[in-house]
Amino acid sequence: MKKKLGVYICACGGNISDYVDIERVREAVKDEDCVIMAKTTMFACGDSNQKDMEADIKENNLSGIVVASCSPKLHLTTFRGVSERAGLNKYNYVHANIREQASWAHSDNKPGATEKAIHLVKAAIAKARLAESLEPIVIESKRAVAVIGAGVAGLKAAISLARMNDDVYLIERDSKIGGKLNELETISPENISGKELLERLQKEIASEERITLITNAEVVASRGNIGDFKLTVRISGPQGNTEKEIHAGSVLVSTGFNSYTPAEGEFGFATVPNVITLPEFRKLMGGQKKAAEGGSGKLVYNGKEINSIAYIYCVGSRQVKGDNKYCSRYCCTAAVQASLDVRAIAPEIENFHFHKGIRTYGKQELIYKESNSKGDVYIQFMDKKPPVVSAAEGGISVKALDVLTEKRESEVIADLVVLVTGMVPDSDTSIGTLFKLPKGRDNFYNEIHMKLRPVETVIDGITIAGTCQGPKNVMESVNSSLSAAAKSHSFVSKGELELEPIIAYVNADTCNWCDACSKACPFNAVAMVETAGGQKASINKSTCKGCGMCLPVCPSDSIELISFTNRDMEDMIDVLAL
Amino acid sequence: MSNRSAKILVFSTEKISDPAIDMAGLLKLHYPPQVYTIAVPCSSGIKPRWILRAYEKGFDGVFIAADGSDCMYGESCTEKTGALVEKTHELMREKNIEPARLRMAAICSVCSESFVKQVKSFNEYLLKTDK
Amino acid sequence: MQKEPITLTYDAIVIGGGIAGGEAALNLANNGYKVVLVESRLSVGGKMIMLSKVFPTLDCSACITTPKVSEISRHPNIKIFTESDITSIDKLGEQSFVVKMTQRPRYVVAEDCTACQLCEQACPVIVKDQFQYGLVGRKAVYIPFSIASPKVAAIDIDNCTLCGACEKVCPPGCIDFTMKPKEYIFNVKTAIVATGFRLYDPTNVPRYSYGTAKNVITSIQMERLLAPTRPFHTILRSSDGKVPDKIAYVLCAGSRDDSMGNPICSQICCMYSIKQAQLLLGALPMADITIYYIDIRAFGKGYDEFYEQAVSMGVRFVKGKIGKITEKENGNLTLRYEDVATGKLKEAEHDMVVLSVGVKPNKEAADLFKSHKLELDGLSFVKQSDPLLSPAKTSIDGVFVAGAATGPKDIPDSILSAGAASTEAISYLNQKSQ
Repeated sequence: MKKKLGVYICACGGNISDYVDIERVREAVKDEDCVIMAKTTMFACGDSNQKDMEADIKENNLSGIVVASCSPKLHLTTFRGVSERAGLNKYNYVHANIREQASWAHSDNKPGATEKAIHLVKAAIAKARLAESLEPIVIESKRAVAVIGAGVAGLKAAISLARMNDDVYLIERDSKIGGKLNELETISPENISGKELLERLQKEIASEERITLITNAEVVASRGNIGDFKLTVRISGPQGNTEKEIHAGSVLVSTGFNSYTPAEGEFGFATVPNVITLPEFRKLMGGQKKAAEGGSGKLVYNGKEINSIAYIYCVGSRQVKGDNKYCSRYCCTAAVQASLDVRAIAPEIENFHFHKGIRTYGKQELIYKESNSKGDVYIQFMDKKPPVVSAAEGGISVKALDVLTEKRESEVIADLVVLVTGMVPDSDTSIGTLFKLPKGRDNFYNEIHMKLRPVETVIDGITIAGTCQGPKNVMESVNSSLSAAAKSHSFVSKGELELEPIIAYVNADTCNWCDACSKACPFNAVAMVETAGGQKASINKSTCKGCGMCLPVCPSDSIELISFTNRDMEDMIDVLAL
Repeated sequence: MSNRSAKILVFSTEKISDPAIDMAGLLKLHYPPQVYTIAVPCSSGIKPRWILRAYEKGFDGVFIAADGSDCMYGESCTEKTGALVEKTHELMREKNIEPARLRMAAICSVCSESFVKQVKSFNEYLLKTDK
Repeated sequence: MQKEPITLTYDAIVIGGGIAGGEAALNLANNGYKVVLVESRLSVGGKMIMLSKVFPTLDCSACITTPKVSEISRHPNIKIFTESDITSIDKLGEQSFVVKMTQRPRYVVAEDCTACQLCEQACPVIVKDQFQYGLVGRKAVYIPFSIASPKVAAIDIDNCTLCGACEKVCPPGCIDFTMKPKEYIFNVKTAIVATGFRLYDPTNVPRYSYGTAKNVITSIQMERLLAPTRPFHTILRSSDGKVPDKIAYVLCAGSRDDSMGNPICSQICCMYSIKQAQLLLGALPMADITIYYIDIRAFGKGYDEFYEQAVSMGVRFVKGKIGKITEKENGNLTLRYEDVATGKLKEAEHDMVVLSVGVKPNKEAADLFKSHKLELDGLSFVKQSDPLLSPAKTSIDGVFVAGAATGPKDIPDSILSAGAASTEAISYLNQKSQ
C-alpha cells in the first residue's frame, strides 16, 4: 500500500525561519511522492503542535511523518512519542535536521541554507517512504549498579541506590574509601571536616546490606551493554591479584579529580622554600588546635612561625598560556575558607589574597564578606601579568600589578605562599578508555546535554557523577551523584529494558557462508547455521548492536541493516545529489 | 573568494561525528551549504556501493567523518573504516574516478572546528581539480 | 458552590511547576510513582520557559523547556494543577501527608478551549502583560503566552468588565463566568518543594531610576526582548521604538549589598548578562555593549570560556560600582560610576540600561506547612538540614527540596538538585514501606 506522509517544518521561533525560508521548503516538498500534507509550525516540539500532529495522523490515517527541525539528538523521543500516542508505529517517523545542519551552519548564506533544507527534507521523505513498523527488542536488566570510585559522590550514590532497593557493587582502587574527603578540613558552608563526613558515610555504607564494597580493586575489562555489563575486577591482595566478574545493569562512574600539581618553578613551587599548594596547606592545618580551644595560637611550618600568608589564586585554572582554560569553581571558596580557618588557629596571622576576581558565588559570598571584615587584604592581579614569587630577605616576595590601584605594583613579603590549585581530571584515565567515555574540551567526562541529560553519557547505561564530569564542591558533587543514582536506578528498576530494533539481517538467498561477517562483528552476534540451502550466516537479535561493521565486508552484499538498507541509503543519496 | 562550492556527501556517525557537525552549526562555524550529511551508526558500516552511487549521481566528493578511536562499537573501527576506504579507492580506480575524491578523517564528538576545516579544504581541492 | 472537596491519592506531591519541579516529577513518574504537580500560575515551565537562550551553549531555552513540559503534561503518572494554591500541608505520620489545595477558576473550560484566540481579539480591555514583564499589553481574556502549557485561555476577572464579548465569539462556547474555586484534598506519602525564586525588585533602589526612567529595564525584560516568542520581534526601546546602540548592564543590581537587603551573590546574573550581551551583538552587530561589574563569576562548566568569548567578541567589561542613573531629555541615561581601575568617579551615557537583577527567596513555601515547621535559613531560603551529604533534605522528614528554593542556582544545578530530591524521595518511599 502506498504510504501517506505528513511533513512538519519547524520555524523554531526564528532559529530556523530567520535563515531558512520555511514556506519555500514547504512549497518544494508538498508535492513529493506520498506526501499528503506539509505544514510549517512555530515550535514543532510545542505542546499544541504535538496535539495537531496527533490529530493529523489520526484524521488522515497517516502512515508516516517527517519532522524537519533541530537535531534529532534533542527531540527524537518527543516525536516518537507523538507517533505512538496517535497509534502510528514510532519507526515510521523520520527526522530532518534543518537547524544545526542548515539554518545555523549556513546562517551566512540564506538561499544556500534554504536549498540545503529542501534537500534534507526530501531525503527524509525518501527514507520515510521506505520506513517499516518495528517492535523494540526487550532484554532483561540486572537489578544491580556498579559504582566506580568511592569518594563522596560514589559513596552517596551507592547508599541511595541501595535504599532504592538496587544491588550495588562499590569499586574503589585505593585501600580505603572516602577519596579526597580524607584530606579536607572545614567544608563550606558547614563547620564540619571531611573526616567527620566520612565517618557518617562509613556507618551508612556498613548498614546497607545491598552494597558490596570492593577495595584495592580495578576494573580491567568490560563486556556486555546496558542491562548486563560484565565487568572484570582485579583485586590486589597480600597473596597477589585475584579477578572477579560482576554483572550490573548500569555503571555509575564517579572517579573524581586530581588537584593540579604546579610545574617546578611555577610561582616558586619547589624552587622557593615555603611555597605550598592549597591541599598541602589544608593538611598542615589539619593537625592544629584552634586558639579558642586551647591551641598555641601559632602556626609553624618548616620550623618557622608563620605570621603572614600570601594566597595566589587560579593556579592551574583559567590559564592564559596553559591548557586549563576553565575555572575550577571550588577553589575561591576553599581558599577563603582556609584563610578563615588559619585565623582560628593563629589569630594574629595576616592574609593577602592575590586573585583574578573572587568567585564566591551564591551564599558562599557570606564567607568572603566575613574574610573582608576580618581584615584580609585582597589584591586583584591582571590576567596577563601573573604575580611573581621569589625568595627575599625575611620571607617570600610576591609582586603583582593591582587592578584596583591603577595598576600599581604591590609587593608583599610573606612567610608562606599558598598556591590555590584547581581541579584537573583524574590522571588515571583507564575507566574512560575502557568504556569509551567522551571527554569535553576541558578533558573531564562529558554529559550528553548539560540541561536535558546532565548525568548520562553517550554510552547507554553509563552515568557520570561528581568531579569526574567537571569541578564541583562537595554539595554539588552530592547533588550530581544523587541525580546519577536516579538515572542509573531507572535503567535497572524495571528488570527489563527496551532496545532499538535497528539490527542487521541476512539475505539467506544470496549468502554463501564465508565467515567474513562473523569475523567483523565485535559482539559475537553472527553465527553459522545449517539450512536446507546450505550454510548461512545468522544474526543474534539480542546481541547485535546495529553498528553495521558486517555490511561492507560481505562479498555477496547479503547483509543489510534495518533502516540503513541499500534502498534507504541510495534513495537518500539520489535525492541529495539532485 | 569563490562563491562556488563543490557538492560533498558526508557520512557522519550518530553518536560521535554527527554531534560534532551539530556543534559546528551551534557555534555558527560556517561551511559550504552544498555539504550534505547522512548519519549512520558507525563509519565502519558504510558500504562502498553507497559511496560509488554518490559519484554516479553527481556528487563531487565524499567525506567520511569517522568515529576513530572513540567508536563505541570497538577499537577495530578505525582499521575497518580504513579497509573499506581502501577497497572503495580500488573500485574508484577501476571506474576512473579520482581516488582523492574520497576523503576520510576521524572527527571526535567535539571536533567541530576540525570538521569545518576538513570540509572547507576538501571543497577547495575539489573546485581546483574541477577546472 | 462545591459541597465537599475532591479527595485524591498520590505517592508524591511536587509544589512548583518550574524546571526543577518538572524534572523531579518526571524522575518519580518514570520510576512508577504517581505524582501530583501543583503550579500557582496559569502555565507550567516556570521562569525557564520565558528565557531566550541559555548559557553557555546558547541553546534556545524554549527548545529545551517545551519538550520537558510536554513530557510532564502527557505523562500517565503525573497530574498537573495550574492556577492552584496550596492552603495547608499536615504531616500525620511517616509517609502520610494531607494537602489542601484550591484551584482558582479560569472562567474558561480548559478541556474545550482550542486556543483559537478569537476571545482575545474580541476583548476590549487592555492591561499590562505580566508574562511579558509589562513590556506590552494583553487582553483581560488571554492565553498566557504562545508556548504556555496548558495552552488555554483564562479570564483575568479583576480586570474583566463582564461585557460578554468573548462569550459571543468563542466557537466551542467554553467561557463560563459562573466558575467557582475548586477545593481538593490530596493524600500523599512525600512532598517535594520546588517553589523557585523571585527576582529582585529594583524599585527598592531609587538611584537606579527603574520605573521612572523609561529606558532602564530589568534583565528579565531583556530576556523577553531577545526570546523567540518576543513581543516586538526585534530589540528596541519600548518607550520610543528606537533601536538601542549603546547598552549598559549593571551587575549585582540587588545582590552582594546589605543595603539592598541581599548580602549574597545571586550566582546567575554574571552569566545571563554575558549571554544577553552575546545575543545582542548577534542581533545588533554595531551596538556598543558595556557590562559594569564587581567580579565576574563565570564558575561552571564552560562558563569561563564563554566569558572569554564575550570579551573577544568586543563586549566591554568595566569594573565599577554604579552610583546613580539619571534620565536625559532624549530618553538616554547617564550613569555615574566609580571606575575601580582608576579610583575616579566617571560618567557615561547609554541609550538603554539593563539592571541584572538578583535572586530573592519565595518565603511562602514555609507557610504551607502547618503541623510541622519547614525551617528557613537566615536569608529566608528553605533550609537544607544536611546540606553537604543530603542537600535535598529539609527540616521535615519526607519533605524534600529542589531547585532555587534553597538559594540561587543556574539551570544545570537546578536540574541536578531536582534529581537529588527525587532520589531522596524514592529512598524515603522505599525505606519506610519495608
